[in-house]
Amino acid sequence: VSKKRRDDKPPQVVLGEWLQGKGPEADIAICTRVRLARNLQGFAFSTRMGDQEAAEIVKFVCDRIGKPALTEAPNLLDLDVLDELDRTVLVERHLISRELAGSKRPRAVAVDAAESVAIMVNEEDHLRVQVFQSSLQTEAAWRRAEALDEELMRRLPFAWSEEFGFLTSCPTNTGTGLRLSVMVHLPGLVWAEEIEKATNTAQKIHLAVRGLYGEGSRALGDFYQVSNQVTLGRAETQILADVALAVGRIVQWEREVREALLRGTARIRTLDRIHRALGTLERAQILSSEEALNCLSAIRFGIHTGVLDGFEVAQVNQALLLSQPGHLQRHTKERLTADDRDVRRAHLVRELLGCDP
Amino acid sequence: MQFCTACQKAPATIVIMDLSGGSVTGQQQLCAACAENMGIVQKPTSKISPEILEDLLGGLKGKGPRESAKRRETACPGCGLTPQDFKIKGRLGCPRCYEAFRGELVPLLQRVHEAATHRGRLPGRAAAAVPTVDPDNLADLRRRLEDAVRKERYEEAAKLRDDLRKIERGETEARP
Repeated sequence: VSKKRRDDKPPQVVLGEWLQGKGPEADIAICTRVRLARNLQGFAFSTRMGDQEAAEIVKFVCDRIGKPALTEAPNLLDLDVLDELDRTVLVERHLISRELAGSKRPRAVAVDAAESVAIMVNEEDHLRVQVFQSSLQTEAAWRRAEALDEELMRRLPFAWSEEFGFLTSCPTNTGTGLRLSVMVHLPGLVWAEEIEKATNTAQKIHLAVRGLYGEGSRALGDFYQVSNQVTLGRAETQILADVALAVGRIVQWEREVREALLRGTARIRTLDRIHRALGTLERAQILSSEEALNCLSAIRFGIHTGVLDGFEVAQVNQALLLSQPGHLQRHTKERLTADDRDVRRAHLVRELLGCDP
Repeated sequence: MQFCTACQKAPATIVIMDLSGGSVTGQQQLCAACAENMGIVQKPTSKISPEILEDLLGGLKGKGPRESAKRRETACPGCGLTPQDFKIKGRLGCPRCYEAFRGELVPLLQRVHEAATHRGRLPGRAAAAVPTVDPDNLADLRRRLEDAVRKERYEEAAKLRDDLRKIERGETEARP
């Protein structure tokens, strides 16, 4: 089935490293993230400090990483100065956590233009250093994170001990302070009802599998993140190898299930599901976040398996990003109620997919 | 002698002036008791509270003949976190908590990570670039801080505490 494209182009948007859609296994592995938890000597941890000390930390860190500016993350943003909508946009671009956005204490973030590095200041730890690399690229992401960490160590006195490694506010991060996550799109495993089996298998080897969107265990749009749980007693290289191996297997599993879903009697049900999703996005006038994510997931699956042509993954990625509440409101430059957003979302997705608005 | 405008009995020792646009628009004379009742001034405390002392000393626990509450013996000398706080929140308060709660922490780490010692990189070479601290100067500062607290010279103590922290963070060189 091919889709006619209208001549006028949908709004273009810069996609961060997150949604580049390039690199090994990019059809399933969307993005790799390295996160390092770091704290400073001589201060209480962020969760146990008053506003004055929190402000001191922000000033101290910003002075040290701002002069001269870090080449990896030259743009310092004071999150107190940004308004709520801009903070939401940063959350939706995965640069800061929802907790940091909503926190009352003084806090900041340093980012680069490509959105491949984000250093959160005063999250649960004084610094949460994040490096993003599109697709499944654990080694490349780690090398960049390690180099950045070295640079930070030259500028900041990190708290550490020979025995416990890097000292963190929560004992679950102690040691390497390293959380390596790979965001994966697993519609095959979800549709074939094998996702639970995959999740359980991963947990047995101390990996966590969580939904990427939505609260708690609900995984909207079949997007998941796989990450290491253990941070202490294993060297970084071991953690990298464990996660890369497990994600490699999950990717392989997803591929096999996708093939099975397009064979024999299963095929027509799979095609029906993909085309119904497309029908919804082409015609719906009211579209909730959840429905949008689920339909876009089906479209993404359809594109990667060759069921749908005339569409590009970039369109889906843009829709995934721009249909979130913060981006929707920034796009329209006005505050919208949830109902208004659902109408806007339906319109925007039709536009991005090249349908008659 | 001016009597308190509120109770009309005791001599007024506190004057409250309402200021507006740079000029005095109203005035009240109060005695200490009435001012306290109105919440205008705080009752002067004869004894410094253990929390303030703890904060001032910021980690000089176990030295000198201070009367210390039981909680202070087990609390973290760096941030005052108690073992109970740690148990409830599951979060540590500062880097020094790792030593203070080592006993509770090691079995917890063992449960969570199936290991209790670090393997992996440490600051090493890069950390050497951070200004190092002369331990003698630190000890001297700590002694002076303790002395200031004992003699109830709190302003001086607070300044010494800040100096100590700065040095520990590597912001300035230790001064003799």
